[in-house]
Amino acid sequence: MPDSLNFHFTPVDKARPDEQNAHAKASTDVTDVIKAIQERFPEAVTEVVVYAGEHTVFIAGEVFLNVCTALKEELGFTYLVDLAGVDRFQEDAPRYEVYYCFVNLQAGKRLRIKVRVEEDDAVLPSITGLFKAADWNERECFDMLGIRFEGHPDLRRMFMPEDFTYHPQRKEFPLLGIPGSLPLPPRTPEGELTMDPFAAARSGSPAKSYQEPAENDEN
Amino acid sequence: MDSATGYLTTTVDAVVNWARSNSLMPMPMGLACCAIEMMAFGGPKYDVGRFGSEAMRFSPRQADLMIVAGWCSYKMAHAIRRVWDQMADPKWCIAMGACASSGGMHRCYGVVQGIDNFMPVDVYIPGCPPRPEAVIHALMDVQEKVRNEYSVAKDYASGPKKSAVESMNLGILTSDGRTTVGGV
Ligand code: SF4
Repeated sequence: MPDSLNFHFTPVDKARPDEQNAHAKASTDVTDVIKAIQERFPEAVTEVVVYAGEHTVFIAGEVFLNVCTALKEELGFTYLVDLAGVDRFQEDAPRYEVYYCFVNLQAGKRLRIKVRVEEDDAVLPSITGLFKAADWNERECFDMLGIRFEGHPDLRRMFMPEDFTYHPQRKEFPLLGIPGSLPLPPRTPEGELTMDPFAAARSGSPAKSYQEPAENDEN
Repeated sequence: MDSATGYLTTTVDAVVNWARSNSLMPMPMGLACCAIEMMAFGGPKYDVGRFGSEAMRFSPRQADLMIVAGWCSYKMAHAIRRVWDQMADPKWCIAMGACASSGGMHRCYGVVQGIDNFMPVDVYIPGCPPRPEAVIHALMDVQEKVRNEYSVAKDYASGPKKSAVESMNLGILTSDGRTTVGGV
């Protein structure tokens, strides 16, 4: 290679064992917690991934709610930091996963849990009964990915208008949206303003603000 | 009677436009990051009070200049349009920043690609975000537009564009007749 083509670039750090990894922190090493979960629910933990001293625990969806209850009531993880969904379209099966970040404030431990969700049956138990903080995050997750949280007190869309029928963060949703699915106000002052984005909050049903093609439209 | 005393004559349009243009009350429609620059525009350093627009009106009924600062989502568009409709005529609108003007870098499903898709815009400001000077410049453009408006005179269409001084059409009426002032 000629010298003129010899680029200088920042080398990528090689993976190092955890003891030498400067990013590894004691707070994210939760080996005892994983052991405790495995003892109580032998089938629950499907996989544990370790990177830079951080444990990511994959939990089976069926026992997930029981595990969360145990985490909160027995293992001291009383604080839900974050919850969101991921679409692993064609990369991994099952297609969706939802991650939960918990903190045990007393022991200073952080725990990341992931739950895989099937595409055909995208349902998870809601943990709003345990952690109030999950409320809006679950609504966001439902809005963006269409994962339904069973037992959620008010599973409405978080960001998109209530009569919107798609889930925009699914990978098959076009980046520029679907024409006509999100109506704009009329261009002329005479046009009628109809859309009420919070109809369901006022216990009405949201009116469709756009025209759908007729069911057996041949054209 | 000497010429130092006498009457100042002008046209109703000129007085109305003069008053309007120097007391434009903005309705701050701050939607995103651009709103921070809009605050600087209203703050003491850039001091838009020099142009008579320091009184931000958070009620649309008292405002006559809407500054849409930031990207506008489809859901918000309906709220903005409602606020705009509640503002009393005459009213003007500034689309501040790349996002309000054209959608900017948010080329995606949720953001309206320019607020002129659903409401009229008088002045667009480029930039991401525009500096407060640019907002002041846009305000001055609106002022110039206001000064050239006809609200009383019947023959709208006629007349060349006039400068601020010219449009005042000031004259001094004395016993000797009327002299125009202001370098016209
Ligand atoms: S133009 Fe830039 S600064 Fe203004 S709202 Fe858009 S992204 Fe933010």
